[in-house]
Amino acid sequence: MNDTQWPRYEVFQQDKPDKPHRNIGTVHAPDAEMALQNARDVYGRRPENYNLWVVPSEQIFSKTAEEMTLDPGWANETVPEEGTAVPFAVFTKSSYRRAMTHVQYVGEVAAKTAVSAMQKAIATYTEGDPFIWWICPLYAITRTQENDIESMFAPAHDKLYRLPNQYRTVAAMRKIKRESGEQ
Amino acid sequence: MTHSEENFQEKLIEFEARIARGEKIEPGDWMPERYRKQLIRMISQHAHSEIVGMLPEGAWIPHAPNLRRKMVLLAKVQDEGGHGQYLYHAAETLGATREEMTEALLDGRAKYASVFNYPTLTWADNAAIGWLVDGAAIMNQTMLAQCSYGPYSRAMVRICAEEGFHKKQGQEMVIQYAQGTLKQQAMMQDAINRWWWPTLMMFGPHDSESKNTPELQRWGIKTKTNDELRQEFIDEMVPALHALNLTIPDPELHYDEASGHWISGEIDWDEFWRVVKGAGPLNKERLAARRKAHEDGRWVREAAAAYAANMTNS
Ligand SMILES: [Fe+2]
Ligand SMILES: [Fe+2]
Repeated sequence: MNDTQWPRYEVFQQDKPDKPHRNIGTVHAPDAEMALQNARDVYGRRPENYNLWVVPSEQIFSKTAEEMTLDPGWANETVPEEGTAVPFAVFTKSSYRRAMTHVQYVGEVAAKTAVSAMQKAIATYTEGDPFIWWICPLYAITRTQENDIESMFAPAHDKLYRLPNQYRTVAAMRKIKRESGEQ
Repeated sequence: MTHSEENFQEKLIEFEARIARGEKIEPGDWMPERYRKQLIRMISQHAHSEIVGMLPEGAWIPHAPNLRRKMVLLAKVQDEGGHGQYLYHAAETLGATREEMTEALLDGRAKYASVFNYPTLTWADNAAIGWLVDGAAIMNQTMLAQCSYGPYSRAMVRICAEEGFHKKQGQEMVIQYAQGTLKQQAMMQDAINRWWWPTLMMFGPHDSESKNTPELQRWGIKTKTNDELRQEFIDEMVPALHALNLTIPDPELHYDEASGHWISGEIDWDEFWRVVKGAGPLNKERLAARRKAHEDGRWVREAAAAYAANMTNS
């Protein structure tokens, strides 16, 4: 096959304004703009979207607790003297119980390299004993805007037939069984 | 034992202990190569099934009896496309590439659920598929939502939430047609007659024939066997279909007082293997439809790539 499926973008979804962005999967797209549109089609068919972020997968630096135990030397690196620190977004996962949630956004750190950003992230965001950390430079994030809500996310609110609670099959079956019992 | 073998055994013990503690294995974590391979095999087959699964019902979208049914069917088929995407994503976290998986499907090497190689002959088939086929898929997927690999389990949780709608829209139609005109009743019965056995086959070969099951259970990928899931499905569906005065095309089907289970006759395993091996009613047509879609979409992919290249250069 001589065509490719394009680079991968990690997708982060925010349900409501006061909730953190959560990683929900990936899409393939030729650029970030189309990645956002694909993310909307793949992950936004239900009324649970307020904002989406996409980040090229290659811009994500990730570590799991298990990975670091097996490779304790992962952070051996000399941080260059020159250069300025850039802001990184930090995402963590901290509970096996919340089945739907992978890493979610917890805040930012500033660092010159990904490795030192990771070390700062691990030292700074300790709440809930995280065991997966993801970081990416802030500039790698492409976001939907306030004025995308109407066209991208609002239509899902009118498509109630996509929700199982719109079907009265349980009551219908109960009624049929009751009536056949009465005969 | 060599040092590296010892090292492997140590890691394997810790890996199995993590699964026993109910922890999820995540991308980046150590895992035995067999675990990775088994998951890629299962997840990519599952993804292909969602994609091919769009075809039997998709054919009826232009012929829906009213606007509501058309919107519902459109939304359902769209969801199945989305499920395929969630699952390809999960397989990619294990190192499989989208290109490899797409290629394997299109050149006929990859397997997918055989049930989608049967034809949809009347509108009532969409009702039967929604309730029976999606209902059977939910049983399997509810189990897989508990599985030990984080990305697969999360994809399943998401899919199960959407499948509830698929099953119910099908069930709603079955109830309606079973209580409708004589013609509707006959059409519904005919659809059940044709979809019952292919649905039971979805759960796969008997446990005694299923060579992968013990390993998959040990590593927390599956928590129930094929026969257990199939029995759960039969026990749920038989009384519900009977209540609607629909019959099941199995003369040997009977209720066993002692075990409290409905006991089914034997599946036609010759037919099962025939369809798995590619000689089902529509295997060729399904693959041809996927290839055509891929080819017809080529200019869109090329245009999108050209647009993206243009935007970065300007
Ligand atoms: Fe599905
Ligand atoms: Fe479905």
